[in-house]
Amino acid sequence: MKYTTFNQKPTNPLLEPMFFGNPVNVARYDQQKHSIFEKLIEKQISFFWRPEEVDVSKDRVDFQSLSDSEKHIFISNLKYQTLLDSVQGRSPNIAFLPIISLPELETWTETWSFFETIHSRSYTHILRNLFTDPSAIFDDIVVNEQIKQRAGDISKYYDDLIFYTQLWQTQGEGVHTVEGVAYTITMRELKKKLYLCMNSVNALEAIRFYVSFACTFAFAERELMEGNSKIIRLIARDENLHLTSTQHIINLWQKGKDDPEMAEIAEECKDQAKEIFMQAVEQEKQWAGYLFAQGSMIGLNEEILCQYVEYIANHRMSAIGMGQPFDITSNPLPWMNNYLNSDNVQVAPQESEISSYLVGQIDAEVNAGDFDDFDL
Amino acid sequence: MSEKKSTVIIVDGDHPPILTDHSDTILESLEKQNIEVHYHCREGFCGACRSKLISGEVDYKTDPLAYIDDDEFLPCCCIALGDIKIKLV
Ligand code: FES
Ligand SMILES: [Fe+2]
Ligand SMILES: [Fe+2]
Repeated sequence: MKYTTFNQKPTNPLLEPMFFGNPVNVARYDQQKHSIFEKLIEKQISFFWRPEEVDVSKDRVDFQSLSDSEKHIFISNLKYQTLLDSVQGRSPNIAFLPIISLPELETWTETWSFFETIHSRSYTHILRNLFTDPSAIFDDIVVNEQIKQRAGDISKYYDDLIFYTQLWQTQGEGVHTVEGVAYTITMRELKKKLYLCMNSVNALEAIRFYVSFACTFAFAERELMEGNSKIIRLIARDENLHLTSTQHIINLWQKGKDDPEMAEIAEECKDQAKEIFMQAVEQEKQWAGYLFAQGSMIGLNEEILCQYVEYIANHRMSAIGMGQPFDITSNPLPWMNNYLNSDNVQVAPQESEISSYLVGQIDAEVNAGDFDDFDL
Repeated sequence: MSEKKSTVIIVDGDHPPILTDHSDTILESLEKQNIEVHYHCREGFCGACRSKLISGEVDYKTDPLAYIDDDEFLPCCCIALGDIKIKLV
């Protein structure tokens, strides 16, 4: 079906499926088939922030004091996050918008992607502060073997869906030969590609940032690179919201609350979807190995980071009906929670200069039990 | 203004029942007794605190946006309406 930017056929968006129904025409938000996406748009917009509002100037001095292995950890993580947000800043728009049929989901996708571009812009803000010319860092992202391996896995499900959608929208269902290769396009096949792609995006939002987040917050625990940490807290808050959206989409499908055919596909592709998640877990653990290959950093090591990835994966896999495949039941890095809560994550430049800001907050929380007898 | 207290029974782990009142979310009440509950946002949008509500009723103080199944709840943003029985993780 040919894509149109304004579908002139009257449609009832309350009866459309999330994907592969009629193209959206009127961008209206007074009614929603799935009100969750409207709520997510509002929440995401309420989080609005600009990287330039966070003062990262003190980080430049801190960075000089890091050991070589710590510099490697810090910069490699920034490279990996830059890759992730480069992909996320464009791909939901390119892959999902042409096949979305609900105005609230369309705008959620655009809002989500827009925030990923803010994340990308914040890496430039951070790197420009650390280096007079950050080109070498950016240039390495496309040639670094460790990063390339991850990039391949992350983009292949998007690319596959985009290509099949292009064939379908220009030539319809059937067998089409492109550059000597025959492709069979059916609606069922398109929906499978979509399901796997959404699972890959869900795994990305769920765990792919967390090794990097843990390192950032471990530096912050030592009162180092706090401007960076402030930015990463804002990014982490956004990523949690993105994850909520992909969890909702997957559950709406699995539970037959949207397109009934997607419920069948969810069942059919169950093992493949789980494999995508497990593969992402494996890659994150390998990433931890790569980070620490040249030496550790205070407060973190490869083993504990891998346990943390498994712990987070358990939580996030169970949210989409994949059970809890790992044995770990208690949080190996409990202090992470203090950096991931949204209290006090507002942009106030002066805060990054008060080095004891977050540390003080954590102390206050540890002692909360002392106030048990207070009656207000 | 002391509210009527409700009892929270935790079926997993080895925790004695705890008391909660309307001035604390269930997460806060659990934390005051040093019971570890996973959390991130504390505002109902991330799902990190997602737990099972086996019996009883809760009242959300913030509209929960995170995905939860029919038998689950988000302790970070609700209070107990009477006694409840829950399961963590
Ligand atoms: S801590 Fe985020 S939903 Fe409860
Ligand atoms: Fe992002
Ligand atoms: Fe994201």
